[in-house]
Amino acid sequence: MDTQWPRYEVFEQEQPDQPHRNSGAVHAPDAELALQNARDVFVRRPEVSSLWVVPENQIYAWTAEALAADPSWQTETVVLARSASPYEVFQKQSQRQSETYVIHVGTVQARSPSEALREALAKFDAGSVLVWWVVLAGAIRRSTRGEAASLFEPARDKTYRQPNEYKVASQMRAANDAGKAEAGNEQPGPAGAPAPGPQEPAE
Amino acid sequence: MIDERLQAFEVRIARGEKIEPGDWMPDEYRRQLIRMISQHAHSEIVGMLPEGAWITRAPNLRQKLILLAKVQDEAGHGQYLYHAAETLGATRAEMIELLLAGKAKYSSVFNYPTLSWADMGIIGWLVDGAAILNQTMLARSSYGPYSRAMVRISAEEGFHKKQGQEMVIRYARGTARQHALVQDALNRWWWPSLMMFGPHDSESPNSPTLLRWRIKTRTNDQLRQEFVNELVPELQRLELSLPDSALRRDEASGNWLIGPIDWDEFKRVVSGHGPCNQERLAARQKAHDDGRWVREALEVYAARQDQARPRVN
Repeated sequence: MDTQWPRYEVFEQEQPDQPHRNSGAVHAPDAELALQNARDVFVRRPEVSSLWVVPENQIYAWTAEALAADPSWQTETVVLARSASPYEVFQKQSQRQSETYVIHVGTVQARSPSEALREALAKFDAGSVLVWWVVLAGAIRRSTRGEAASLFEPARDKTYRQPNEYKVASQMRAANDAGKAEAGNEQPGPAGAPAPGPQEPAE
Repeated sequence: MIDERLQAFEVRIARGEKIEPGDWMPDEYRRQLIRMISQHAHSEIVGMLPEGAWITRAPNLRQKLILLAKVQDEAGHGQYLYHAAETLGATRAEMIELLLAGKAKYSSVFNYPTLSWADMGIIGWLVDGAAILNQTMLARSSYGPYSRAMVRISAEEGFHKKQGQEMVIRYARGTARQHALVQDALNRWWWPSLMMFGPHDSESPNSPTLLRWRIKTRTNDQLRQEFVNELVPELQRLELSLPDSALRRDEASGNWLIGPIDWDEFKRVVSGHGPCNQERLAARQKAHDDGRWVREALEVYAARQDQARPRVN
């Protein structure tokens, strides 16, 4: 009876003064668990200060190719809301190799998703934009300041997840020097005999 | 009409553009990507098992934390990849069903047993090292979601390889018993690691299509040669011997040339008849079954919360 839970797109912010970026998604039965799953899947390393999750069906997306091919976004096809609401606007800005897809650029007020797109095209630099996303701001579940400690602090002291924790280059050099020293003495010990590296103090 | 679209698609790829969800793509491009990405996702998920077996037997707390973190990463990487495959129309439920039914392929290397603690070092250095070479190549893939997952995975796996290399160096330079343990691990994992790159280019029927559409940007044999050239001198510097009597350095090209790979073994293992295939799938099935009540409880809770929420009209 396993069914697939709804998909939520995840946005990470590394530092408080940086924009939220999308680089993946999770499945969850609701927004609360989507936030927890996003934390488990995307915050194993110490570089996140805020997370947003959005149900996939709340995202209105247009690629540059689609905007050019189908102009229906220019005219309204849905009944407009009585008053404008805030929509968050995201763009894919370059073809550069990166883990980021779309990046948050700001907010517009609109009465429908396609009106939000038109507002965004007028308000933000659209020259090299490859993909647009607009999302009703109220549809986003954002991690709060109070949740930040439990969501993001545990990853910070796990420095053994960082490659520079391992000094393999100098360890290989030490092995090499020890090998040369042995060859110079013409007394190669049995393979695997303890060979203290030059920097290690004698006991 | 189709030909014009195909032409435009190929022009975009030739320009180095990424193809994104929602863009037009040939059915074969979609099919090949779903095949590759889902196999890759399954490999990350099944790849947790050989090392997971040693978490409780780690010799000290630091090693235990490292191994836990590495296995957690593999779980996360499986998730990144399932999500990338979903953008092409595959569902996670379908992909997992195929895996559990024994109908999906995953990397043959995870069907070998982990017999000693030294295997943790050799797997990190060799198996993750081979995976990183492949993934760095796939980070240049033309399909945006696959490329992005690979950029992230390659960055995160840097520590997987280095912690393994660190352990191998320590054991190779340790006591005679430690050296013997790591030599034994190398003897068992060397050939399965070389098989990870897949069949020779001459035997790889999908390769021309994959290269033309830049799903892949380098061939199996190119990557395998780079791996051998990097690993052989370093392992030799640690006074470890390689289980290949035909191994020699070609002076003209500078390449290390390996002896013949046992492709019969590869085919046997990849088609379900390796030493641990049954055990791996049984472990996945058990995890899936044991987690069912949690999934059901979460679903019921979410539905109840939804009903309790005040309706705004």
